[in-house]
Amino acid sequence: MSLAAEAFVSQMAAAEPWPENATLYQPLKDDQILLSDHASSLAVQAYLRMCGLPVQVVCRANAEYMSPSGKIPFIHVGNQVVSELGPIVQFTKAKGHTLSDSLDDVQRAEMKAYMELVYNMLLTAELYVQWCDDATAAEISRPRYSSPYSWPLGKILAYQKQWEVRRKMNAVGWGGKSLEQVYEDVSQCCQALSQRLGTQPYFFNKQATELDALVFGHLFTILTTRLTSTELAERVKSYSNLLSFCRRIEQTYFEDKGS
Amino acid sequence: MAAPDELFCWEGDWGLPSVSTDCLVVLAYAQFAGAPLKLRKICNPWRSPSGSLPALRTNQKKTLSRPSDIIVHLRKRKYNADYDLSAKEGADSLAFISLLEEKLIPALIYTFWVEPKNYVDVTRRWYAEHMMFPLNFFLPGRMQSRQLEKLRLLRGDENLEAGEELEKELYQDAAECMNLLSQRLGSQKFFFGDSPSSLDAYVFGHLAPILKCKLPNGKLQQHLKSLDNLSDFCSNILLLYFPRDGRAENSGEKASPQPDAADFDSVPNKRRKQFLSALFAFAAMLSYALLTGMVSVQHVHQEALEEPPDPEHIGSHEHEEEGDG
Repeated sequence: MSLAAEAFVSQMAAAEPWPENATLYQPLKDDQILLSDHASSLAVQAYLRMCGLPVQVVCRANAEYMSPSGKIPFIHVGNQVVSELGPIVQFTKAKGHTLSDSLDDVQRAEMKAYMELVYNMLLTAELYVQWCDDATAAEISRPRYSSPYSWPLGKILAYQKQWEVRRKMNAVGWGGKSLEQVYEDVSQCCQALSQRLGTQPYFFNKQATELDALVFGHLFTILTTRLTSTELAERVKSYSNLLSFCRRIEQTYFEDKGS
Repeated sequence: MAAPDELFCWEGDWGLPSVSTDCLVVLAYAQFAGAPLKLRKICNPWRSPSGSLPALRTNQKKTLSRPSDIIVHLRKRKYNADYDLSAKEGADSLAFISLLEEKLIPALIYTFWVEPKNYVDVTRRWYAEHMMFPLNFFLPGRMQSRQLEKLRLLRGDENLEAGEELEKELYQDAAECMNLLSQRLGSQKFFFGDSPSSLDAYVFGHLAPILKCKLPNGKLQQHLKSLDNLSDFCSNILLLYFPRDGRAENSGEKASPQPDAADFDSVPNKRRKQFLSALFAFAAMLSYALLTGMVSVQHVHQEALEEPPDPEHIGSHEHEEEGDG
Protein backbone atom coordinates (compact mmCIF):
# COMPACT_ATOMS: atom_id res chain seq x y z
CA MET A 1 0.00 0.00 0.00
CA SER A 2 1.41 3.39 -0.90
CA LEU A 3 1.96 6.00 1.74
CA ALA A 4 -0.61 8.40 0.33
CA ALA A 5 -3.15 5.59 0.28
CA GLU A 6 -2.15 4.67 3.81
CA ALA A 7 -2.70 8.22 5.05
CA PHE A 8 -6.06 8.27 3.30
CA VAL A 9 -7.04 4.95 4.83
CA SER A 10 -6.13 6.05 8.32
CA GLN A 11 -8.21 9.21 7.87
CA MET A 12 -11.13 7.15 6.69
CA ALA A 13 -10.58 4.77 9.55
CA ALA A 14 -10.70 7.53 12.10
CA ALA A 15 -14.09 8.61 10.81
CA GLU A 16 -15.84 5.28 11.28
CA PRO A 17 -16.26 3.29 14.50
CA TRP A 18 -15.27 -0.39 14.66
CA PRO A 19 -18.08 -2.36 13.00
CA GLU A 20 -19.64 -5.51 14.42
CA ASN A 21 -18.96 -7.58 11.34
CA ALA A 22 -15.15 -7.25 11.17
CA THR A 23 -13.59 -10.42 9.77
CA LEU A 24 -10.15 -11.98 10.03
CA TYR A 25 -9.10 -14.31 7.24
CA GLN A 26 -6.63 -17.16 7.61
CA PRO A 27 -5.96 -20.48 5.84
CA LEU A 28 -7.92 -23.63 6.75
CA LYS A 29 -7.31 -24.38 10.37
CA ASP A 30 -7.26 -28.17 10.39
CA ASP A 31 -5.66 -29.18 7.11
CA GLN A 32 -3.72 -26.29 5.69
CA ILE A 33 -2.35 -23.64 8.03
CA LEU A 34 1.32 -23.83 8.92
CA LEU A 35 3.04 -23.03 12.19
CA SER A 36 4.31 -19.58 11.25
CA ASP A 37 1.01 -18.45 9.71
CA HIS A 38 -0.95 -19.75 12.65
CA ALA A 39 1.36 -17.87 15.03
CA SER A 40 0.90 -14.59 13.16
CA SER A 41 -2.85 -15.09 13.00
CA LEU A 42 -3.07 -15.88 16.69
CA ALA A 43 -1.02 -12.79 17.51
CA VAL A 44 -3.49 -10.57 15.65
CA GLN A 45 -6.46 -12.27 17.32
CA ALA A 46 -4.87 -11.79 20.73
CA TYR A 47 -4.19 -8.14 19.95
CA LEU A 48 -7.76 -7.47 18.87
CA ARG A 49 -9.11 -9.23 21.96
CA MET A 50 -6.83 -7.16 24.17
CA CYS A 51 -8.27 -4.04 22.54
CA GLY A 52 -11.76 -5.41 23.07
CA LEU A 53 -12.54 -5.35 19.35
CA PRO A 54 -14.79 -8.17 18.13
CA VAL A 55 -13.64 -10.06 15.07
CA GLN A 56 -14.94 -13.15 13.36
CA VAL A 57 -12.35 -15.66 12.16
CA VAL A 58 -12.98 -17.05 8.70
CA CYS A 59 -10.87 -19.83 7.15
CA ARG A 60 -10.30 -19.73 3.42
CA ALA A 61 -8.05 -21.99 1.40
CA ASN A 62 -6.87 -19.08 -0.72
CA ALA A 63 -6.33 -16.60 2.14
CA GLU A 64 -2.70 -16.09 1.10
CA TYR A 65 -3.78 -14.89 -2.33
CA MET A 66 -6.59 -12.71 -0.97
CA SER A 67 -4.24 -10.77 1.30
CA PRO A 68 -3.09 -7.40 -0.08
CA SER A 69 0.52 -8.05 0.96
CA GLY A 70 0.49 -11.80 0.32
CA LYS A 71 0.91 -12.43 4.02
CA ILE A 72 -1.34 -13.97 6.63
CA PRO A 73 -3.53 -12.89 8.38
CA PHE A 74 -5.54 -9.94 7.16
CA ILE A 75 -8.66 -8.26 8.49
CA HIS A 76 -11.63 -6.89 6.61
CA VAL A 77 -13.18 -3.98 8.45
CA GLY A 78 -15.89 -1.90 6.82
CA ASN A 79 -14.41 -0.91 3.48
CA GLN A 80 -10.81 -1.64 4.36
CA VAL A 81 -8.49 -4.60 4.16
CA VAL A 82 -5.35 -4.53 6.30
CA SER A 83 -2.76 -7.30 6.63
CA GLU A 84 -0.13 -8.19 9.25
CA LEU A 85 0.17 -7.11 12.86
CA GLY A 86 2.19 -3.88 12.37
CA PRO A 87 -0.27 -2.21 9.97
CA ILE A 88 -3.25 -3.55 11.95
CA VAL A 89 -1.88 -1.89 15.09
CA GLN A 90 -1.58 1.38 13.14
CA PHE A 91 -5.07 0.93 11.80
CA THR A 92 -6.70 0.37 15.19
CA LYS A 93 -4.73 3.29 16.55
CA ALA A 94 -6.28 5.53 13.92
CA LYS A 95 -9.67 4.33 15.14
CA GLY A 96 -8.73 5.30 18.68
CA HIS A 97 -7.91 1.86 20.08
CA THR A 98 -4.39 1.50 21.36
CA LEU A 99 -2.59 -0.44 24.07
CA SER A 100 0.74 1.36 24.23
CA ASP A 101 -0.31 4.93 25.07
CA SER A 102 0.71 4.74 28.69
CA LEU A 103 4.34 3.85 27.86
CA ASP A 104 7.05 6.48 27.90
CA ASP A 105 9.49 7.01 25.01
CA VAL A 106 12.15 4.59 26.23
CA GLN A 107 9.60 1.87 26.91
CA ARG A 108 8.05 2.34 23.50
CA ALA A 109 11.50 2.04 21.93
CA GLU A 110 12.09 -1.16 23.87
CA MET A 111 8.70 -2.55 22.92
CA LYS A 112 9.40 -1.97 19.22
CA ALA A 113 12.84 -3.52 19.58
CA TYR A 114 11.49 -6.67 21.25
CA MET A 115 8.83 -6.99 18.58
CA GLU A 116 11.57 -6.94 15.96
CA LEU A 117 13.42 -9.55 18.00
CA VAL A 118 10.41 -11.88 17.70
CA TYR A 119 10.19 -11.30 13.94
CA ASN A 120 13.91 -11.56 13.43
CA MET A 121 14.54 -14.72 15.42
CA LEU A 122 11.35 -16.62 16.30
CA LEU A 123 9.53 -16.11 13.02
CA THR A 124 12.65 -16.79 10.98
CA ALA A 125 13.33 -19.93 13.03
CA GLU A 126 9.75 -21.14 12.46
CA LEU A 127 10.14 -20.63 8.73
CA TYR A 128 13.49 -22.40 8.82
CA VAL A 129 12.14 -25.45 10.64
CA GLN A 130 9.09 -25.60 8.37
CA TRP A 131 10.80 -25.34 5.03
CA CYS A 132 14.52 -25.96 5.44
CA ASP A 133 14.42 -29.02 7.65
CA ASP A 134 13.89 -31.77 5.09
CA ALA A 135 11.91 -34.11 7.35
CA THR A 136 9.45 -31.41 8.44
CA ALA A 137 9.10 -30.03 4.93
CA ALA A 138 8.37 -33.45 3.43
CA GLU A 139 6.08 -34.78 6.15
CA ILE A 140 4.21 -31.67 7.25
CA SER A 141 4.78 -28.41 5.38
CA ARG A 142 4.51 -29.48 1.75
CA PRO A 143 1.50 -31.82 2.16
CA ARG A 144 -0.38 -29.28 4.28
CA TYR A 145 0.48 -26.33 2.07
CA SER A 146 -0.69 -28.15 -1.06
CA SER A 147 -3.78 -29.81 0.52
CA PRO A 148 -6.46 -27.59 -1.11
CA TYR A 149 -5.07 -28.04 -4.62
CA SER A 150 -5.18 -30.98 -7.01
CA TRP A 151 -2.12 -33.02 -7.90
CA PRO A 152 0.30 -31.17 -10.14
CA LEU A 153 -0.61 -27.67 -8.98
CA GLY A 154 -0.22 -28.41 -5.27
CA LYS A 155 3.25 -29.89 -5.76
CA ILE A 156 4.36 -26.97 -7.88
CA LEU A 157 3.09 -24.34 -5.45
CA ALA A 158 4.62 -26.10 -2.44
CA TYR A 159 8.04 -26.42 -4.06
CA GLN A 160 7.84 -22.83 -5.23
CA LYS A 161 7.14 -21.68 -1.69
CA GLN A 162 9.95 -23.79 -0.30
CA TRP A 163 12.37 -22.42 -2.88
CA GLU A 164 11.36 -18.86 -2.02
CA VAL A 165 11.81 -19.37 1.74
CA ARG A 166 15.20 -20.99 1.20
CA ARG A 167 16.35 -18.04 -0.88
CA LYS A 168 15.20 -15.73 1.87
CA MET A 169 17.16 -17.74 4.44
CA ASN A 170 20.27 -17.34 2.31
CA ALA A 171 19.68 -13.62 2.04
CA VAL A 172 19.43 -13.14 5.81
CA GLY A 173 22.48 -15.34 6.39
CA TRP A 174 20.60 -18.31 7.84
CA GLY A 175 21.24 -20.51 4.82
CA GLY A 176 24.38 -22.04 6.26
CA LYS A 177 22.93 -22.73 9.69
CA SER A 178 22.28 -26.23 10.94
CA LEU A 179 19.05 -27.19 12.68
CA GLU A 180 20.92 -27.32 15.97
CA GLN A 181 22.13 -23.73 15.55
CA VAL A 182 18.57 -22.60 14.81
CA TYR A 183 17.31 -24.25 18.01
CA GLU A 184 20.14 -22.50 19.81
CA ASP A 185 18.93 -19.16 18.40
CA VAL A 186 15.40 -19.93 19.58
CA SER A 187 16.76 -20.60 23.06
CA GLN A 188 18.67 -17.34 22.96
CA CYS A 189 15.56 -15.44 21.93
CA CYS A 190 13.43 -17.10 24.63
CA GLN A 191 16.14 -16.39 27.17
CA ALA A 192 16.01 -12.71 26.24
CA LEU A 193 12.21 -12.60 26.40
CA SER A 194 12.21 -14.45 29.71
CA GLN A 195 14.74 -12.02 31.17
CA ARG A 196 12.73 -9.07 30.00
CA LEU A 197 9.49 -10.48 31.39
CA GLY A 198 10.96 -11.39 34.76
CA THR A 199 8.19 -11.83 37.31
CA GLN A 200 5.82 -9.26 35.79
CA PRO A 201 2.42 -10.35 34.51
CA TYR A 202 3.03 -8.61 31.15
CA PHE A 203 6.12 -7.22 29.44
CA PHE A 204 5.36 -3.69 30.59
CA ASN A 205 3.94 -4.60 33.98
CA LYS A 206 0.14 -4.46 34.37
CA GLN A 207 -0.89 -3.33 30.91
CA ALA A 208 -0.90 -5.80 27.99
CA THR A 209 0.60 -4.32 24.81
CA GLU A 210 1.01 -5.47 21.22
CA LEU A 211 4.31 -7.05 22.24
CA ASP A 212 2.45 -9.38 24.60
CA ALA A 213 0.06 -10.31 21.81
CA LEU A 214 2.92 -11.05 19.43
CA VAL A 215 4.93 -13.11 21.91
CA PHE A 216 1.83 -15.01 22.96
CA GLY A 217 0.89 -15.80 19.36
CA HIS A 218 4.27 -17.29 18.58
CA LEU A 219 5.04 -19.11 21.82
CA PHE A 220 1.56 -20.55 22.23
CA THR A 221 1.60 -21.86 18.68
CA ILE A 222 5.05 -23.40 19.11
CA LEU A 223 3.91 -25.07 22.32
CA THR A 224 0.69 -26.49 20.91
CA THR A 225 1.71 -27.54 17.39
CA ARG A 226 2.90 -31.06 16.70
CA LEU A 227 5.96 -31.21 14.45
CA THR A 228 8.19 -34.11 13.49
CA SER A 229 10.34 -33.37 16.49
CA THR A 230 9.36 -31.78 19.79
CA GLU A 231 12.69 -29.99 20.12
CA LEU A 232 11.28 -26.53 19.28
CA ALA A 233 8.60 -26.78 21.99
CA GLU A 234 11.11 -28.23 24.45
CA ARG A 235 13.31 -25.19 24.04
CA VAL A 236 10.41 -22.90 24.95
CA LYS A 237 9.25 -25.11 27.81
CA SER A 238 12.47 -24.62 29.76
CA TYR A 239 11.42 -21.03 30.57
CA SER A 240 8.74 -21.33 33.22
CA ASN A 241 7.79 -17.65 33.34
CA LEU A 242 7.08 -17.69 29.59
CA LEU A 243 4.85 -20.73 30.06
CA SER A 244 2.81 -19.10 32.79
CA PHE A 245 2.68 -15.92 30.68
CA CYS A 246 1.09 -17.90 27.83
CA ARG A 247 -1.35 -19.57 30.20
CA ARG A 248 -2.28 -16.21 31.72
CA ILE A 249 -3.10 -14.62 28.37
CA GLU A 250 -4.98 -17.68 27.22
CA GLN A 251 -7.11 -17.64 30.36
CA THR A 252 -7.70 -13.89 30.38
CA TYR A 253 -8.47 -13.31 26.74
CA PHE A 254 -9.48 -16.59 25.18
CA GLU A 255 -11.28 -18.78 27.68
CA ASP A 256 -13.74 -16.20 28.99
CA LYS A 257 -15.01 -15.52 25.51
CA GLY A 258 -15.25 -19.16 24.65
CA SER A 259 -17.42 -20.08 27.59
CA MET B 1 50.59 -17.54 23.02
CA ALA B 2 49.56 -18.66 19.58
CA ALA B 3 49.61 -16.33 16.61
CA PRO B 4 46.77 -13.78 16.60
CA ASP B 5 43.72 -14.28 14.40
CA GLU B 6 43.73 -12.55 11.07
CA LEU B 7 40.87 -10.23 10.17
CA PHE B 8 40.26 -9.36 6.53
CA CYS B 9 38.10 -6.33 5.83
CA TRP B 10 37.38 -3.61 3.32
CA GLU B 11 39.65 -0.58 3.22
CA GLY B 12 38.49 2.60 4.86
CA ASP B 13 37.62 5.99 3.49
CA TRP B 14 35.56 9.08 4.37
CA GLY B 15 37.25 9.10 7.77
CA LEU B 16 36.02 5.59 8.61
CA PRO B 17 38.22 2.56 9.33
CA SER B 18 36.27 0.57 6.75
CA VAL B 19 33.53 1.36 4.24
CA SER B 20 31.42 -1.72 4.87
CA THR B 21 28.90 -1.91 7.71
CA ASP B 22 29.71 -5.50 8.65
CA CYS B 23 33.44 -4.78 8.75
CA LEU B 24 32.82 -1.72 10.92
CA VAL B 25 30.81 -3.78 13.39
CA VAL B 26 33.59 -6.33 13.76
CA LEU B 27 36.35 -3.71 13.93
CA ALA B 28 34.49 -1.72 16.57
CA TYR B 29 33.80 -4.80 18.65
CA ALA B 30 37.43 -5.90 18.47
CA GLN B 31 38.50 -2.43 19.60
CA PHE B 32 36.00 -2.37 22.46
CA ALA B 33 37.05 -5.80 23.67
CA GLY B 34 40.75 -5.13 23.13
CA ALA B 35 41.17 -8.22 20.96
CA PRO B 36 44.61 -8.39 19.30
CA LEU B 37 43.86 -9.05 15.64
CA LYS B 38 46.17 -8.97 12.71
CA LEU B 39 44.30 -6.56 10.48
CA ARG B 40 44.37 -6.92 6.71
CA LYS B 41 42.62 -4.11 4.91
CA ILE B 42 42.13 -5.17 1.32
CA CYS B 43 40.08 -4.15 -1.67
CA ASN B 44 39.70 -7.49 -3.32
CA PRO B 45 37.12 -9.81 -1.80
CA TRP B 46 38.67 -12.72 -3.71
CA ARG B 47 41.77 -12.49 -1.57
CA SER B 48 39.76 -13.13 1.57
CA PRO B 49 39.74 -16.78 2.70
CA SER B 50 35.93 -16.99 2.56
CA GLY B 51 35.49 -15.02 -0.66
CA SER B 52 33.63 -12.27 1.13
CA LEU B 53 34.47 -9.52 3.58
CA PRO B 54 34.77 -9.37 6.53
CA ALA B 55 36.41 -12.71 7.25
CA LEU B 56 38.29 -13.91 10.27
CA ARG B 57 40.94 -16.60 9.89
CA THR B 58 41.49 -18.10 13.31
CA ASN B 59 44.81 -19.59 14.26
CA GLN B 60 43.27 -23.04 13.85
CA LYS B 61 42.79 -22.07 10.18
CA LYS B 62 39.02 -21.90 10.53
CA THR B 63 37.25 -19.15 8.61
CA LEU B 64 34.29 -17.14 9.92
CA SER B 65 32.48 -14.51 7.92
CA ARG B 66 29.25 -13.52 9.69
CA PRO B 67 29.82 -10.62 12.11
CA SER B 68 27.82 -12.39 14.82
CA ASP B 69 29.91 -15.56 14.44
CA ILE B 70 33.11 -13.53 14.66
CA ILE B 71 31.87 -11.80 17.81
CA VAL B 72 30.92 -15.14 19.37
CA HIS B 73 34.36 -16.47 18.52
CA LEU B 74 36.07 -13.46 20.10
CA ARG B 75 33.88 -13.86 23.16
CA LYS B 76 34.98 -17.48 23.49
CA ARG B 77 38.59 -16.32 23.36
CA LYS B 78 37.80 -14.17 26.43
CA TYR B 79 37.65 -10.89 24.53
CA ASN B 80 34.24 -9.94 25.78
CA ALA B 81 32.92 -6.40 25.65
CA ASP B 82 29.60 -7.50 27.18
CA TYR B 83 31.09 -8.86 30.38
CA ASP B 84 29.59 -6.16 32.59
CA LEU B 85 26.07 -6.38 31.22
CA SER B 86 23.26 -7.77 33.33
CA ALA B 87 21.07 -10.50 31.84
CA LYS B 88 18.36 -7.97 31.10
CA GLU B 89 20.80 -5.67 29.36
CA GLY B 90 21.97 -8.61 27.29
CA ALA B 91 18.36 -9.23 26.30
CA ASP B 92 17.93 -5.56 25.38
CA SER B 93 21.06 -5.73 23.18
CA LEU B 94 19.64 -8.67 21.28
CA ALA B 95 16.34 -6.85 20.78
CA PHE B 96 17.92 -3.63 19.53
CA ILE B 97 20.25 -5.53 17.20
CA SER B 98 17.13 -7.16 15.70
CA LEU B 99 15.58 -3.73 15.35
CA LEU B 100 18.62 -2.58 13.35
CA GLU B 101 18.53 -5.65 11.14
CA GLU B 102 14.85 -5.38 10.37
CA LYS B 103 14.43 -1.63 9.98
CA LEU B 104 17.75 -0.02 9.15
CA ILE B 105 19.46 -2.53 6.86
CA PRO B 106 16.84 -2.29 4.08
CA ALA B 107 17.25 1.50 4.03
CA LEU B 108 21.04 1.17 4.09
CA ILE B 109 20.98 -1.18 1.12
CA TYR B 110 18.64 1.16 -0.68
CA THR B 111 20.66 4.30 -0.08
CA PHE B 112 24.03 2.81 -1.04
CA TRP B 113 23.15 0.29 -3.74
CA VAL B 114 19.73 1.04 -5.22
CA GLU B 115 19.29 4.83 -5.26
CA PRO B 116 20.61 5.44 -8.80
CA LYS B 117 22.51 8.68 -8.20
CA ASN B 118 24.16 7.51 -4.98
CA TYR B 119 25.14 4.19 -6.53
CA VAL B 120 26.64 5.62 -9.70
CA ASP B 121 28.34 8.66 -8.17
CA VAL B 122 29.63 7.20 -4.92
CA THR B 123 29.31 3.47 -4.31
CA ARG B 124 30.21 2.07 -7.70
CA ARG B 125 32.83 4.72 -8.20
CA TRP B 126 34.50 3.97 -4.88
CA TYR B 127 34.62 0.23 -5.45
CA ALA B 128 35.68 0.56 -9.07
CA GLU B 129 38.51 2.93 -8.17
CA HIS B 130 39.78 0.74 -5.36
CA MET B 131 39.63 -2.67 -7.03
CA MET B 132 42.25 -4.21 -9.25
CA PHE B 133 42.05 -3.85 -13.02
CA PRO B 134 39.91 -6.68 -14.37
CA LEU B 135 37.72 -6.94 -11.24
CA ASN B 136 36.63 -3.32 -11.22
CA PHE B 137 34.57 -3.86 -14.36
CA PHE B 138 32.22 -6.52 -13.06
CA LEU B 139 32.51 -6.90 -9.28
CA PRO B 140 30.71 -3.66 -8.31
CA GLY B 141 27.82 -4.62 -10.58
CA ARG B 142 27.71 -8.11 -9.13
CA MET B 143 27.77 -6.76 -5.60
CA GLN B 144 24.87 -4.51 -6.49
CA SER B 145 22.74 -7.29 -7.91
CA ARG B 146 23.39 -9.35 -4.79
CA GLN B 147 22.31 -6.49 -2.55
CA LEU B 148 19.25 -5.86 -4.68
CA GLU B 149 18.32 -9.53 -4.41
CA LYS B 150 18.72 -9.33 -0.66
CA LEU B 151 16.45 -6.29 -0.43
CA ARG B 152 13.85 -8.04 -2.57
CA LEU B 153 13.82 -11.11 -0.37
CA LEU B 154 13.81 -9.10 2.84
CA ARG B 155 10.72 -7.26 1.69
CA GLY B 156 9.15 -10.29 0.04
CA ASP B 157 8.55 -8.17 -3.04
CA GLU B 158 9.54 -9.70 -6.37
CA ASN B 159 9.31 -6.67 -8.62
CA LEU B 160 11.05 -4.06 -6.59
CA GLU B 161 12.13 -0.86 -8.27
CA ALA B 162 13.93 2.25 -7.17
CA GLY B 163 11.32 4.92 -6.82
CA GLU B 164 9.91 7.56 -4.59
CA GLU B 165 7.37 5.33 -2.93
CA LEU B 166 9.82 2.61 -1.96
CA GLU B 167 12.33 5.22 -0.83
CA LYS B 168 9.79 6.97 1.36
CA GLU B 169 8.69 3.74 2.96
CA LEU B 170 12.21 2.52 3.70
CA TYR B 171 13.40 5.90 4.93
CA GLN B 172 10.37 6.20 7.17
CA ASP B 173 11.25 2.87 8.81
CA ALA B 174 14.89 3.90 9.12
CA ALA B 175 14.03 7.28 10.59
CA GLU B 176 11.75 5.62 13.13
CA CYS B 177 14.52 3.19 14.01
CA MET B 178 16.98 6.06 14.52
CA ASN B 179 14.46 7.90 16.69
CA LEU B 180 13.99 4.83 18.86
CA LEU B 181 17.75 4.38 19.21
CA SER B 182 18.15 8.03 20.08
CA GLN B 183 15.46 7.74 22.74
CA ARG B 184 17.08 4.64 24.18
CA LEU B 185 20.52 6.24 24.23
CA GLY B 186 19.28 9.40 25.92
CA SER B 187 22.15 11.41 27.35
CA GLN B 188 24.38 8.42 28.09
CA LYS B 189 27.78 8.03 26.52
CA PHE B 190 27.13 4.44 25.45
CA PHE B 191 23.95 2.37 25.40
CA PHE B 192 24.68 0.70 28.71
CA GLY B 193 26.51 3.33 30.72
CA ASP B 194 30.16 4.22 30.42
CA SER B 195 31.70 1.27 28.62
CA PRO B 196 30.88 0.16 25.10
CA SER B 197 29.25 -3.22 24.39
CA SER B 198 28.37 -5.24 21.31
CA LEU B 199 25.19 -3.20 20.79
CA ASP B 200 27.32 -0.06 20.55
CA ALA B 201 29.44 -1.80 17.93
CA TYR B 202 26.36 -2.71 15.88
CA VAL B 203 24.82 0.75 16.10
CA PHE B 204 28.14 2.39 15.23
CA GLY B 205 28.65 0.08 12.26
CA HIS B 206 25.23 0.87 10.83
CA LEU B 207 25.14 4.61 11.47
CA ALA B 208 28.72 5.72 10.85
CA PRO B 209 28.61 5.20 7.05
CA ILE B 210 25.40 7.24 6.88
CA LEU B 211 26.99 9.99 8.93
CA LYS B 212 30.34 10.14 7.15
CA CYS B 213 29.65 9.34 3.53
CA LYS B 214 28.74 12.32 1.36
CA LEU B 215 25.96 11.04 -0.85
CA PRO B 216 24.10 13.09 -3.47
CA ASN B 217 20.83 11.93 -1.91
CA GLY B 218 21.52 12.44 1.77
CA LYS B 219 18.10 12.27 3.40
CA LEU B 220 19.16 9.65 5.91
CA GLN B 221 22.21 11.70 6.81
CA GLN B 222 20.08 14.78 7.36
CA HIS B 223 17.85 12.86 9.71
CA LEU B 224 20.77 11.37 11.60
CA LYS B 225 22.40 14.79 11.98
CA SER B 226 19.18 16.12 13.47
CA LEU B 227 19.51 13.58 16.30
CA ASP B 228 22.39 15.15 18.18
CA ASN B 229 23.03 12.39 20.68
CA LEU B 230 23.28 9.67 18.02
CA SER B 231 25.62 11.60 15.74
CA ASP B 232 27.76 12.59 18.72
CA PHE B 233 27.81 8.94 19.73
CA CYS B 234 29.29 7.96 16.35
CA SER B 235 31.86 10.77 16.25
CA ASN B 236 32.86 9.94 19.81
CA ILE B 237 33.57 6.31 18.99
CA LEU B 238 35.55 7.36 15.94
CA LEU B 239 37.58 9.76 18.01
CA LEU B 240 38.20 7.41 20.92
CA TYR B 241 38.70 4.09 19.17
CA PHE B 242 39.81 4.97 15.64
CA PRO B 243 41.86 8.14 16.08
CA ARG B 244 44.09 7.37 13.11
CA ASP B 245 41.25 7.19 10.61
CA GLY B 246 39.69 10.37 11.96
CA ARG B 247 42.99 12.18 11.52
CA ALA B 248 43.36 10.83 8.00
CA GLU B 249 40.09 12.49 7.16
CA ASN B 250 41.14 15.83 8.63
CA SER B 251 44.42 15.90 6.77
CA GLY B 252 42.46 14.64 3.80
CA GLU B 253 40.42 17.79 3.75
CA LYS B 254 43.54 19.92 3.73
CA ALA B 255 46.03 18.00 1.63
CA SER B 256 43.55 15.81 -0.24
CA PRO B 257 45.25 12.43 -0.10
CA GLN B 258 42.64 9.73 -0.73
CA PRO B 259 39.68 10.59 -2.91
CA ASP B 260 41.13 13.74 -4.47
CA ALA B 261 44.50 12.13 -4.93
CA ALA B 262 42.77 9.49 -6.97
CA ASP B 263 41.34 12.26 -9.12
CA PHE B 264 44.75 13.89 -9.58
CA ASP B 265 46.24 10.55 -10.49
CA SER B 266 43.53 9.71 -12.89
CA VAL B 267 44.09 12.89 -14.92
CA PRO B 268 47.62 12.08 -16.12
CA ASN B 269 46.50 8.49 -16.42
CA LYS B 270 43.76 9.67 -18.70
CA ARG B 271 46.22 11.67 -20.80
CA ARG B 272 48.49 8.70 -21.10
CA LYS B 273 45.57 6.49 -21.99
CA GLN B 274 44.36 8.97 -24.59
CA PHE B 275 47.83 9.19 -26.01
CA LEU B 276 48.21 5.41 -26.06
CA SER B 277 44.87 4.86 -27.69
CA ALA B 278 45.59 7.48 -30.33
CA LEU B 279 48.94 5.82 -30.95
CA PHE B 280 47.27 2.43 -31.17
CA ALA B 281 44.68 3.70 -33.64
CA PHE B 282 47.34 5.33 -35.71
CA ALA B 283 49.41 2.16 -35.74
CA ALA B 284 46.41 0.10 -36.73
CA MET B 285 45.54 2.43 -39.57
CA LEU B 286 49.10 2.48 -40.75
CA SER B 287 49.46 -1.28 -40.72
CA TYR B 288 46.18 -1.65 -42.55
CA ALA B 289 47.36 0.80 -45.13
CA LEU B 290 50.67 -0.97 -45.48
CA LEU B 291 49.04 -4.37 -45.85
CA THR B 292 46.47 -3.39 -48.41
CA GLY B 293 48.44 -1.50 -50.97
CA MET B 294 50.42 1.42 -49.82
CA VAL B 295 53.57 -0.66 -49.76
CA SER B 296 54.39 1.27 -52.91
CA VAL B 297 55.11 4.32 -50.84
CA GLN B 298 58.13 2.54 -49.43
CA HIS B 299 59.19 1.66 -52.96
CA VAL B 300 58.85 5.23 -54.00
CA HIS B 301 60.78 6.25 -50.99
CA GLN B 302 63.65 3.88 -51.73
CA GLU B 303 63.74 4.86 -55.37
CA ALA B 304 63.34 8.46 -54.38
CA LEU B 305 66.71 8.16 -52.72
CA GLU B 306 68.21 6.95 -55.96
CA GLU B 307 66.40 9.24 -58.32
CA PRO B 308 64.96 12.69 -57.78
CA PRO B 309 61.15 12.54 -57.51
CA ASP B 310 59.19 12.92 -60.65
CA PRO B 311 55.39 13.09 -60.73
CA GLU B 312 55.20 10.98 -63.89
CA HIS B 313 57.45 8.34 -62.41
CA ILE B 314 55.43 7.95 -59.30
CA GLY B 315 52.27 7.73 -61.32
CA SER B 316 53.70 4.98 -63.53
CA HIS B 317 55.05 3.13 -60.50
CA GLU B 318 51.70 3.05 -58.85
CA HIS B 319 50.28 1.79 -62.06
CA GLU B 320 52.73 -1.09 -62.10
CA GLU B 321 52.00 -1.96 -58.49
CA GLU B 322 48.31 -2.11 -59.10
CA GLY B 323 48.91 -4.31 -62.05
CA ASP B 324 50.99 -6.68 -59.93
CA GLY B 325 48.44 -6.85 -57.14
